[in-house]
Amino acid sequence: MARSKAASKKQQKQQQKRGVDFKKIKRKLGRKLPPPKNATNTEVKSKAIVLPEQSVASEKAGLAVSKKGLTLKELLQQTSHHNSKVRRDALMGLKDLFQKYPAELRSHRYAVIEKLRERIGDDDKVVRETLYQLLKTVVFPGCKEDNQGPFVSLMVAYIFNAMTHLAVDVRLMAFKFFDLVVQYYPPSFSLYADKVLQNYEDILRKNQFYLEDKAKLRSALAGLVRCLSLLPCNKRKVDSSEENMAGQKILHAFELDMPAESSGFSSITKKLKDLVPVLVNCFQDFFPSVHHMPLLDAQSFDCMHSILQSIDLVVGFFGYGIHQGKPASQLSYEGPDEAIWDHTISSLLLKKLFGVFPLNPTNHLSEKTCSDSRSGKAVWEKHILLLLPFIPKLVLQVASDWKSCLLQAFTKIFEGCNPQSSLKLACLSAIEEMLIPGDDMVYPDASDPLFEYQITWIRALPQLLILLGDKHPSSSQVVLHLLLRLGQCANSSSPFSREYENMQYSLDKFYSSCVDRGDVYYGPFIRLSWDSQELAICGLYYFSNLGPFLLKSIAFCCLCSELEHLVLFRIIEVLHSAFSAGHIQIADYISFFMTLLSRFKVLPENLTFAENIYPDVESDAKISNRGTFKLLTNTVCSCLSRIGDDSLVFQILEQVIFDQLLLKPPLDNACALLRVLVVLDCKPTRLSEQGIITLSKYLSGCLNVGSCEPSCIPEDDEENSLPTHQQTCCYYMLPCFFLFDRSPKLLKLVLNLMGSLITESSSSPSSHSYTQYGNDNSNQINAVVSALLLMHKDTKVRKIISSFKEEVVHILQIIHSLQVKFLVTGNPENGLAVITYTYDLSGRSQVTSFSLSG
Amino acid sequence: MELLIASSSVADAGIGCWDLESGAEQLRYKSCASPPHGLACVGQRFLASSQLREQPSASSGSILYWSWSKPQVEVKSLPAEPIKPIAANSHGTYIAGGGQSGDIYMWEVASGRLLKKWHAHYRAVTCLVFSQDGSFLISGSEDGCVRIWSLLTVFEECESQRASHLYLHSFTGHTLRITDIVIGYGGVSATIVSASEDRTCKVWSLLKGRLLRNIVFPSVIDAIALDPAEHVFYAGSRDGSIYIAALNAESPSTSSYGMHIIGSLSDHSKAVTCLAYSTGDLLISGSEDGMVRVWDPITHNIVRMFRLAKGPVNNILVVRRPLYLNLGSFSNPHTSSRRHGSQLPPPLDKYVTSADEDVDNKGVIRLPSLYNAPRDASYISHRTIDNHLKELQQQGSSAATEMEVERLKHECNRTLQMVQQWKKMYENLHEFCVNELLDGDQVDGSKRNAV
Repeated sequence: MARSKAASKKQQKQQQKRGVDFKKIKRKLGRKLPPPKNATNTEVKSKAIVLPEQSVASEKAGLAVSKKGLTLKELLQQTSHHNSKVRRDALMGLKDLFQKYPAELRSHRYAVIEKLRERIGDDDKVVRETLYQLLKTVVFPGCKEDNQGPFVSLMVAYIFNAMTHLAVDVRLMAFKFFDLVVQYYPPSFSLYADKVLQNYEDILRKNQFYLEDKAKLRSALAGLVRCLSLLPCNKRKVDSSEENMAGQKILHAFELDMPAESSGFSSITKKLKDLVPVLVNCFQDFFPSVHHMPLLDAQSFDCMHSILQSIDLVVGFFGYGIHQGKPASQLSYEGPDEAIWDHTISSLLLKKLFGVFPLNPTNHLSEKTCSDSRSGKAVWEKHILLLLPFIPKLVLQVASDWKSCLLQAFTKIFEGCNPQSSLKLACLSAIEEMLIPGDDMVYPDASDPLFEYQITWIRALPQLLILLGDKHPSSSQVVLHLLLRLGQCANSSSPFSREYENMQYSLDKFYSSCVDRGDVYYGPFIRLSWDSQELAICGLYYFSNLGPFLLKSIAFCCLCSELEHLVLFRIIEVLHSAFSAGHIQIADYISFFMTLLSRFKVLPENLTFAENIYPDVESDAKISNRGTFKLLTNTVCSCLSRIGDDSLVFQILEQVIFDQLLLKPPLDNACALLRVLVVLDCKPTRLSEQGIITLSKYLSGCLNVGSCEPSCIPEDDEENSLPTHQQTCCYYMLPCFFLFDRSPKLLKLVLNLMGSLITESSSSPSSHSYTQYGNDNSNQINAVVSALLLMHKDTKVRKIISSFKEEVVHILQIIHSLQVKFLVTGNPENGLAVITYTYDLSGRSQVTSFSLSG
Repeated sequence: MELLIASSSVADAGIGCWDLESGAEQLRYKSCASPPHGLACVGQRFLASSQLREQPSASSGSILYWSWSKPQVEVKSLPAEPIKPIAANSHGTYIAGGGQSGDIYMWEVASGRLLKKWHAHYRAVTCLVFSQDGSFLISGSEDGCVRIWSLLTVFEECESQRASHLYLHSFTGHTLRITDIVIGYGGVSATIVSASEDRTCKVWSLLKGRLLRNIVFPSVIDAIALDPAEHVFYAGSRDGSIYIAALNAESPSTSSYGMHIIGSLSDHSKAVTCLAYSTGDLLISGSEDGMVRVWDPITHNIVRMFRLAKGPVNNILVVRRPLYLNLGSFSNPHTSSRRHGSQLPPPLDKYVTSADEDVDNKGVIRLPSLYNAPRDASYISHRTIDNHLKELQQQGSSAATEMEVERLKHECNRTLQMVQQWKKMYENLHEFCVNELLDGDQVDGSKRNAV
């Protein structure tokens, strides 16, 4: 057939050839051929010719152009160019352009996005990446402030399209894009949750590519976590909102409802339910590969972590705050069918997840040994940090053999890590979760393996606190808060109460400790912030028996001049509460106050004086704290009077105070002690006989030294006129007056002693040189007289003193005789001095005697 | 119309009772040494107070009842452990008590039965407050925790088993002992203010269950009272002044006391230990020096002062004077004691009775009809209701038989009528037939005759 056909063709050809050869074409000269029938008319007729400019040469002044001189319109056109390099360059150009001219983006944003969205499903990887960068860095931040709803809806359709793309790369990238959208416009998740979750489910089902493309999967999963974290349920979220609310200024303000917060989520529960088994399966698929690897690489760890986080979030959403994996009976309020589903998911979780999970820490343990040798410690710490939050929940769930293994690992981490690190903080929060008994208020019993570890943790806390010092206030605060919580729960029925009690023996270094005699080493407490100090002080309240050991250490702290006086008063306040709750022994309590009053270092106003008295005081602490001390005295007095039976307290205090007074403390402290006595005393004095004698000795001794009287204060005569100074004098004298008022006998004794002291000192000149003696003597006389005058000024005391006329007259007589003696012996200098005094004195004594006679 | 009632921790002071309008002292009820928040007026029928232990060795405290008309203690109950704070709901059907171990006890007043006891706090309960409608109980504890209990959840057994915790909310913001709690009006959306030894007062929202405001005071606040309009609250502090803190508007931050504190009432006395607000726009404060001061909150002046005791005043209540308690009964306690003699309910139980017993013991509370009606008749045991029910059932069945009889009678009548009808028809037919026969015969005869 084929041959015959070819032959027939040949014949035809020959016939044609022959015909052409013999055909004669005749042409006439000068005549044109007619145009062929299909010829085109090329003539152009126009009135004007317009030539469009070429783009390169065109005038673009005033227009926004990119680096390469292209306008927005041109760039947008180029984004759909068939060459991928051109597309990429166009995107780069857009980025460049928008960065230079942000206004351009704002005015054309819809046009821009309509063009850009086509590139979401681009085949070229580089183009997609560039687009992602463009959106992330320029477009979204630029359009942040205005209404994003329509803007986002323009994009989302294309994103979903890309999510169902054939190429896996494109799909994964689409998730990344969606993540970006959610990041900038969170409500978009609730709007499209249904579709997104469906897509996630689909992609997670296809597990063949997990192991190849972990980086992509990781980013996609991170997006899922972000989406799911928008579900309304998170416990932590509630906490943070609480904190925000505390700062709210208007209490009953109208609150805007967040749009579509929880309303839109009811429809997606089913989707979420489907998602969980997929996630669990996915996690399981990861597991064998991880198991075979000697070292967990960062990417697969991240993936696994994200999966776990997602599961946690979903389950949290169902449980609305009920912990992950709690028995299904507690989730059952959602209705019967959901209850069944919850049951299945619980068993799923329990069987698969928890069967698998406990291997993880052991993995990490083995890894720990590896990484220690390989200096990969930083990486390891990061991993552990992410794992820690899961531990408390796990401990609740897993079987006991795993539990002890887990706890051992955890304790090892806790003890091993650096006190300042964030790992320690994470450990602490995990410990708090495990230590503080939860809502059901069930304490672990001693047989539980957990209990042993809990004790270990508690014992480590004070050491940690001291180790932290004052350099890491936030960490210290966390520890102190944990201690406080522990104290609040540690009542007598709790197994921790003994541990908490014992803690006071290790806490003393936190406050202060006596290194050598009198040498005090201050702990970190003094330099901590006010919040932390408050927490520490509150923790003191919960010791059911606050012993003298810790009290002593606190007292040293209180005496430290660096401590703010507000904190000092707060300590007293809390200790008083603790005392009234029966947590402090009365003897310890009283001796605490006595220590405060007798040891408090008062820095008077007068600087020169202060430096004379306390040469060891640094020059920068020159601000007077006398006011503080006065307040302290008042507070202590009110605390002591609130103890209860005043007379009993007085009996206890009397001897203590006298002992302190005989040690000759500084004037301020002595005065404070006397004030305490006066506050607890009543009108017919409660002082014992012995007490009166001791006190009289002391008071007159005071006069003798010249310290209880205003004359001790330098430059007395000049300043005496100043009202403030007089007030101080009165402040010092007032307790004495009260005592005199209540016990006339005391006054008599004191007057007698004053008189005898003058004679004594005047009749024993042998030890001193003559001039010295004269000065001393005149000083003493001066002191005695001014004391008498002060008593005289006070109307109440004047009445009392009038009943002791003889004693006063006796004193005056002695003074007179001394005056005479001086004049006779006739030392010119001393004589002059004495004369001025005598003049002064006679004037005063006349007044006194006058009033006495009157 | 209002009585001011104050008690002290000193036993010989007793419970003082004054007419708030006239200032006249009424009866003084003897031998009461109450702890803070340990005095309650139960449904305006009688006074109840928990007692401090006389000596620390005594294992248990007691709760005492006084009737209005007699100064002596009438009923003494001995709970299982020392009770400090007590509270009664506004109708006086329940008394709640907080124990040293952190347990809360709930008694039914009329029967004295311990309805429920539950572990509420880690440490001793320091104050208890019922909400205005009596549906919530708010407790504060030594461990600084404030918890809100919905009585519905507490008593519904299935409900309480299902939830992981009994309480509705648990506020752990305070670091030290709770000293006082007040709750405003508004049912579920009420505002709660709590004071603590940590020098703060915190405002909580019952509805949202979260902190609304934290106010730091210059000293420890031991007592708070809420302004009826809830614009401000008054906080009595240990330094002797009563601070006024804003609840709604933003206060000027220039206040010398601190954020949100508008001003203070002060007369430089000792620490303020308790506060109450009367409907006559008076603020009443009790102080550690044993005085009760009545303030005009607008002018910040003291209107009246009453002296209760040497020791600190612990509790102040403002109650409406019961109508049936006229002044005459105070002046003549003997007759009235005879009249009102044995009207107080029985003492409170020590332990929860077992479940099978309380099937029969359930109380029925009738709504209060009138104020002057004797209240103690309002308790009827569950049995009465059972009897009523039985009777009702029986009455119902006899009525049914009556109806049956009626029906039968009716039927009988109808059948009788039928019989009559049938008889009549038969007779008619018979007559007709006879007539026919007779006529026929006659016709035949006449024919025959004719033939």
